[in-house]
Amino acid sequence: MAGLFRKVYDWLLRTFWATEMDVTMIGLQNAGKTSLLRVLSGGEFTVDSIPTVGFNMKRVQRGHVTLKCWDLGGQPRFRQMWERYCHGVDAIVFIVDIADVALLPMAREELHLLMEKERLAGIPLLVLGNKSDLPNKLSVDELIDAMDLKNIAHREVSCYGISAKEETNLDAVIQWLMRFANR
Amino acid sequence: MSYGKKDEDADTGLVKVDRTQVFQEARLFNSSPIQPRKCRILLTKIALLLYTGEKFPTNEATTLFFGISKLFQNKDASLRQMVHLVIKELASSAEDIIMVTSTIMKDTGGSTDAIYRPNAIRALCRIIDATTVQSIERVMKTAIVDKNPSVSSAALVSSYHLLPIARDVVKRWQSETQEAAASTKSSGGFSLGFSGSSASIPVNNSTMTQYHAIGLLYQMRMHDRMALVKMVQQFGAAGAVKNPAAIVMLVRLAAQLAEEDANLRKPMMQLLDGWLRHKSEMVNFEAAKAICDMRDVTDAEVAQAVHVLQLFLTSPRAVTKFAALRILHSFASFKPQAVSVCNQDIELLISNSNRSIATFAITTLLKTGNEASVDRLMKQISGFMSEITDEFKITIVEAIRTLCLKFPSKQAGMLQFLGGILRDEGGYEFKRAVVESMFDLIKFVPDSKEDALAHLCEFIEDCEFTKLAVRILHLLGLEGPKTSHPTKYIRYIYNRVVLENATVRAAAVTALAKFGVGQKDPEVKRSVEVLLTRCLDDVDDEVRDRAALNLRLMKEEDELATRFVKNGKLPQSEPNWIALQHHIADGFFFADNMFALPYFEHQLVMYVTSDDKSTFDAPFDLSKIPVVTREQADAEDRTKKLTASTPSLKPPKVGPAKAAQTGAEAAASASAAAQKYAQELLQIPEMSEFGSVLKSSAPVELTEAETEYVVSVVKHIFKEHIVLQYDVKNTLPATVLENVSVVATPSNEEELEEVFIIQAEKLETDAPGKVYVAFKKVNGEGSLPISTFSNVLRFTSKEIDPTTNEPEEQGYDDEYEVAEFDLAGSDYVVPAFAGNFAHIWEQVGATGEEAEETLQLSSVKSIADATEQLAKTLCLQPLEGTDIPVSQTTHTLKLLGKTVNGGRVVANVRMAYSSKSGVTTKITVRSEEEGVAALVVGSVA
Ligand SMILES: Nc1nc2c(ncn2[C@@H]2O[C@H](COP(=O)(O)OP(=O)(O)OP(=O)(O)O)[C@@H](O)[C@H]2O)c(=O)[nH]1
Ligand SMILES: [Mg+2]
Repeated sequence: MAGLFRKVYDWLLRTFWATEMDVTMIGLQNAGKTSLLRVLSGGEFTVDSIPTVGFNMKRVQRGHVTLKCWDLGGQPRFRQMWERYCHGVDAIVFIVDIADVALLPMAREELHLLMEKERLAGIPLLVLGNKSDLPNKLSVDELIDAMDLKNIAHREVSCYGISAKEETNLDAVIQWLMRFANR
Repeated sequence: MSYGKKDEDADTGLVKVDRTQVFQEARLFNSSPIQPRKCRILLTKIALLLYTGEKFPTNEATTLFFGISKLFQNKDASLRQMVHLVIKELASSAEDIIMVTSTIMKDTGGSTDAIYRPNAIRALCRIIDATTVQSIERVMKTAIVDKNPSVSSAALVSSYHLLPIARDVVKRWQSETQEAAASTKSSGGFSLGFSGSSASIPVNNSTMTQYHAIGLLYQMRMHDRMALVKMVQQFGAAGAVKNPAAIVMLVRLAAQLAEEDANLRKPMMQLLDGWLRHKSEMVNFEAAKAICDMRDVTDAEVAQAVHVLQLFLTSPRAVTKFAALRILHSFASFKPQAVSVCNQDIELLISNSNRSIATFAITTLLKTGNEASVDRLMKQISGFMSEITDEFKITIVEAIRTLCLKFPSKQAGMLQFLGGILRDEGGYEFKRAVVESMFDLIKFVPDSKEDALAHLCEFIEDCEFTKLAVRILHLLGLEGPKTSHPTKYIRYIYNRVVLENATVRAAAVTALAKFGVGQKDPEVKRSVEVLLTRCLDDVDDEVRDRAALNLRLMKEEDELATRFVKNGKLPQSEPNWIALQHHIADGFFFADNMFALPYFEHQLVMYVTSDDKSTFDAPFDLSKIPVVTREQADAEDRTKKLTASTPSLKPPKVGPAKAAQTGAEAAASASAAAQKYAQELLQIPEMSEFGSVLKSSAPVELTEAETEYVVSVVKHIFKEHIVLQYDVKNTLPATVLENVSVVATPSNEEELEEVFIIQAEKLETDAPGKVYVAFKKVNGEGSLPISTFSNVLRFTSKEIDPTTNEPEEQGYDDEYEVAEFDLAGSDYVVPAFAGNFAHIWEQVGATGEEAEETLQLSSVKSIADATEQLAKTLCLQPLEGTDIPVSQTTHTLKLLGKTVNGGRVVANVRMAYSSKSGVTTKITVRSEEEGVAALVVGSVA
């Protein structure tokens, strides 16, 4: 009897409280998307992460909210598929390796190209500068300039510095994303 | 997987599923949160469409695919399973499927017992591309040896499909595959089906994994015979493998190995014998079939297999009886005496209520039985002929046809039977088989002629098949005038002119004319003329033309008739069109002589399809086409029909090296090669005065295939000259050879005098080139000089500068000695054919010379090999079917050919085989020309 009650309770909770939201994570290869997602979903950080072929999906549970995170491959051949997986989601997370300055121009170009797509208009964007644990990295302000974020219109844009490895500032990421649940 | 054609008959009664509608509904996949149950139903509909042959256009497939990829990683295990299933099917038509690689990979790994694991593995191998295979290596290796057979099978089958796209990677999984093949796994315990969670794999006790593993191992080791032998021996050992399908595969492999390598025959035969006693019927059948199909199988080798099949004949299960009988039936075509031990058991089956079994029983007995049993069997067949399908009827007709040739004295009964079924209902193929059989009777069993013609006449009175009517009319025209009452046929034929369609009418006119031309009886002649004259009013052009032509010929008769009847060669001076007309007339009216038709056809095709415009400057030269007597052609035909037995069966494999060629085919293929050379040689101005090539040899390798310079030679024989054509290939990278020539030194300098060399100017890496060396026959056109040639390649070698890609200025001169070769007697003969060997043997013996040689061919492993090699080296045509030895221990090979000068060469080769000394042969050659017999024998000595 108690078991049945428990099941009914769970069902009510799921139906009236639970919220699922879709988040797409993009960025050039080696930026640390897969690593970040692994850490967010409670896994261990590993150094030998293999490049993502296509995409990868994981759920991140926080209270009654489930974040369905789509982690896309960053290699050039997958980039034209980003748009498809960004369409209709609740938030887009763009991850940049801030210790690899040489790749910044390309990252900026890819980001702006995507943000110009009409059907993605209005979707909130969070730009994350990853690998803040490494030396010779950019600061958040430098990143905002380098990525020319001021010129991205029609949406809410934020930018944080994080480290998937040291788990720095990850709570802020979750907090930001949660704001868009239940809307 | 592909389901080629849309399955129109698919039972769509359950649910009506429409592609467009399903596509509309697919929006469901994008809704959030996911509704697993609804999605599953929709996926099932898509799967149903795909499985029944529906195809989504690329854009729709891609959209569906992306929708479905949103469903990944759902908690509902059955939904996950469906997702993989449908992705696998869409993989071939959607774009960008590579996107789901990482996600699917996640579902394949781990040690979970999740129900979708096998599906994920199978889907993965469909979407992955060659560059990514490496990254799933670990996953696949673990899955192959997984303790759950479903997972292991999925991984093995997937590897099988990945092998062609990533051979090197997949080959590294051999030891895992080996382990899977050897293990007899089962997940242990038993399940009540609904115990435990539905998300885990149901218990699977199948041993099918072994079959999959052995299949994969074979693919991996295909090119390594030793590894295959080891594999057959390891897994073929009793009890090593449980799965019968896996053993069937081993049976086939063993048979293949025995066929390919004579040394393996004995051990493989032992294995096959063992499998005859295996506890699974499937394995027994496969082994018995393999043994019966074995090349040159001996009575001793096959005895056990036949015995096993015989036991199956008394099985209570129809399918078992059928399978055994079918193997015996096909084997009986080649070794009736080996099957005859089963006759008693087969007898019991001739009245079996299963007509397929009964048919095979009777036709088998017809092959194995003696003359006495024929009548009884024929009666039995007549009893149920109307109950069987056309296909089986044809089997029966084919059996009877062979029988008629074997026991001519039985023709009356059989003809009556054939006549009877000709009147029955039946399709074209069946009627054709009957008509062909009657044609054979007429041709080969003269006593049956008039009766058979009568049956055919009756048949065309009401024949719905134009093709058959035309052939029968042609035959009536051919045979009718030679019968005792030709007028009888004229009436039947003329009826066709009145009642039929234009095609048949035209054929009837031609047939009719044959009764008029050369007709001695003025009365008959007169009536044919009247009838033909009526045909001049026909509405059809062709019919009128034929009538007019024939009327004219009937009038010209006196002048032309003598030529028509004349046999033999045409006077060379006659213009070609007259020759053609005469020849056609020959075949047309009297049909005593005819062209070697396959060869004629080939030549005509070569002529009309020539790329070289100048070919058409000269009209087609008919005098080059050999003329054979109708007798010869018929003899050829009869041997073929008797030995090939029922054409609906495949003859025993004659080894990979050869398919038996008939004389005409051999001549045609040789002539195709000659034609190619002749065209090349024609382009060379220096040789224009040599005339046309009389004979070109097969290429002789003068180096190994892997040397720096690869050289082979073709010997061309002209009237007064010999031209050696050296094909040279430079395989050295980054070098170019210039001014390449060959110094060819004959041992016989008295008879051969070098006239010129044509160099190859430049040979780049791997680009073949030709060098010609021409010799004059010192003793003139009739002479047949033989000699050994030593050969040295001479050239200037230049390296290519890698920066400019140009050859260096200054090269260095170099020489390269290649192997010697012989110009032998056999280079002057071409194969020729005839029907009757004994006759020619005596004829040539009476006027010509004879030479003899006894040889010990210790390196030759079998009579079959010796037969093939000798015919090839001697360059002669095997006659009377002696190219296929019947016995493994002794054989007589009968050969015929002609020299380039036209004289006949006949050879009689007797051989005996013993395992100790190989093949011993005694070759006797007779020739019309002086000295030739010795020369030809010399080419093998
Ligand atoms: N030092 C440091 N290294 C990191 C951090 N995050 C990721 N890495 C490393 O960066 C490399 C790439 O990480 P991935 O997560 O595979 O990168 P990705 O963005 O998923 O790459 P693709 O799948 O090819 O698009 C790995 O070697 C990680 O160990 C970080 O915060 N600090
Ligand atoms: Mg990744």
